[in-house]
Amino acid sequence: MTGAIVLGRDLTGDQVLVVDAVVVGTGAGGSIALRELARAGLDVVALEEGPYLTPRDFNQREDEMIPRLFQDAGGRATEDLGIRVLQGRGVGGSTIHNTNLCKRTPDAILELWARKYGVAGASAADLQAAFETIERDLSVSEIPAALRNANNDVLRAGCEALGWRGAQLHHNRNGCQQSGFCELGCAYDAKQNALKVVLPQALEAGARVYADVEAVRIVHDGARVVGVHAVARDADGGPRGAVNVWAKVVVLAASAVGSAALARRSGLPDPNQQLGRGLRMHPGAAVAGRFDRDIRGWRGIPQSFECTEHLSHEEGSDERVWIVPAFAHPVGSAATLPGFGAAHMAAMRAYPRLAVMTAVVHDETRGEVDVDGEGNPIVRYVMSERDRGQLAKGLVACARLLLAAGALEVTIPAIPRVRVTRASELDGLDTSALRPHSVPLTAVHPMGTLRMGEDPKISVVRSTGEHHQLRGLFVADGSLFPTSIGVPPQISIYAFAQHLAPHIIERAR
Amino acid sequence: MRVSSGSRGETQKPERRVSRRRLFELTAAAALTLGGLAAAVRTHGYAVPVGRRLVATSPWQFIVLQHAARRIAAPDREGAAAIPTVPTADDLDVAGFVDGWLVRMQPGVRRDFGRFLAYVEHVAPLREGLVTRFSRLAPPEQDRVLAATEASSSDLLRAGFDGLKSLCMMGYYRDARAWSLVGYDGPLVGRPPSGWSGG
Repeated sequence: MTGAIVLGRDLTGDQVLVVDAVVVGTGAGGSIALRELARAGLDVVALEEGPYLTPRDFNQREDEMIPRLFQDAGGRATEDLGIRVLQGRGVGGSTIHNTNLCKRTPDAILELWARKYGVAGASAADLQAAFETIERDLSVSEIPAALRNANNDVLRAGCEALGWRGAQLHHNRNGCQQSGFCELGCAYDAKQNALKVVLPQALEAGARVYADVEAVRIVHDGARVVGVHAVARDADGGPRGAVNVWAKVVVLAASAVGSAALARRSGLPDPNQQLGRGLRMHPGAAVAGRFDRDIRGWRGIPQSFECTEHLSHEEGSDERVWIVPAFAHPVGSAATLPGFGAAHMAAMRAYPRLAVMTAVVHDETRGEVDVDGEGNPIVRYVMSERDRGQLAKGLVACARLLLAAGALEVTIPAIPRVRVTRASELDGLDTSALRPHSVPLTAVHPMGTLRMGEDPKISVVRSTGEHHQLRGLFVADGSLFPTSIGVPPQISIYAFAQHLAPHIIERAR
Repeated sequence: MRVSSGSRGETQKPERRVSRRRLFELTAAAALTLGGLAAAVRTHGYAVPVGRRLVATSPWQFIVLQHAARRIAAPDREGAAAIPTVPTADDLDVAGFVDGWLVRMQPGVRRDFGRFLAYVEHVAPLREGLVTRFSRLAPPEQDRVLAATEASSSDLLRAGFDGLKSLCMMGYYRDARAWSLVGYDGPLVGRPPSGWSGG
């Protein structure tokens, strides 16, 4: 059997596929599930609602790449419009646009899942082999200090000046040209991601990927899955024909939003009303510091250094903020800087001299993914008071770091905006305005909507990834995680898919 | 707001009581509806430039968008500090770009955006004591209306302004003529690799 990428636009007429397994989504989790199923000699296809793009398509222009790489043209947001939810689409999923950060799931999180959420067989020791496999396959390594750009140097300098905990990060890049356009896809093919590494391995083993083919409904009889109904799309998004896949195993790997939305519109059994609940997102917001020298933060590796001074993964901690650099290209920066008109332009003229940090909350808030009458995802997430407190703490910490590193002035883009020139001004700062709707918030790590665990009253799938009620339905993406993980999730998602693959293969045989 | 301490994974719900904040939201929703109703009947007097083919907005929506973009995305060239080398929102066709961008959005988002434009045109000026439509106000008054919307006590209206501003900024800063203003050197694809000194 020969693997292939099939484009929805090339399909003529309705398609019927009879296979051993079908994977929905081709990001970190989906690509691994696809690869392992194909390597086991099974007939497997993946359905990807987004396009198949290659490095020559990544032209480094925000206005052209954002609508091609992100859900809803980058406009997805929570129902109350308080948080922008940036999620990838396309062959390779969010691994195309992410910033390649590689951190394992913290031990404290895995222990919490075992202790409180009944997750079995997923201790650090249990996952060790999967993490090692993934880190080897993706060429994970520490980012050399020599590749730290000026924006990241500001964070390191701030940590040093304040005596705060900070460290160099790990990534999965080879041959990085330091262009700084990671979030728009790598034109130099340096990302060792699902698109570059894992999917070619899956194709080599015989898997087929259908791009521009959107899964519409999981077909089941109430006790087991029997397939997926999908629709192929033209280049302009119009329907081209039906793609009906019949299989005894269906793997959901379309993200914590996409997988949960598909599950909800498919009417899956949900006796304990857990499906779609428990959404976490790592919401974050940025703080900008103006320096007396050029930073030119848009060049170089966007994130190579982290501050973990205010980050603990212990349950119930009041230190739940991860701080990393977050420089954006002009469109993103202009949208984030406060104000408009002439004053805004004046602020933008300082663009080369800005350093930008973001405070990301390791959140406790439990949101929900639902669907509207047309089946589109609705993301409900109202940040809890405790998480709002963490957000405010994180933004103030970013301001302190920037000032400690030598910023002349720091702006927290709130309404009303906060502008300070000395750390002492932060001491008595009224932080009540540092909350959603006053601060532009973005979330890029949705998790937790199809949680794993042995107790069906508090989970949707077993610790093997298989649905409690539907035989043959598996989950292999961030939906699995019972809580926020407080680190970038890509390595955890890859590793959990690798870890669960034997169970999926066994069921598909 | 309640924070569940249990492990059952319930979604947190906002409090149901009608708080002051909730009243503001209800007022904002009513204002958006009022704006939409006004927009439905007050559609005369909006002349789209000759040759302009709209793909997602109606003529009145496009005109409001055009006026808002002029105030949001570019510096004031009408005052003493005019900088002739700085392109205006019209120079970069920001409104046209946003019209094209909206086609990609879900129908519900487009509908909500249209309601917000109706609010800006017909209701927001009234809240500032101005009885003229936004698109017929003088630029300083338009700035006043937009600033009030940006700082509104309503989350809904602030989110609407944020969306409008984001689209206008996308329309403006997508263009290489804007990049040079802010010292951005643009994409690297197609350029010689670093260290290359010529053939």
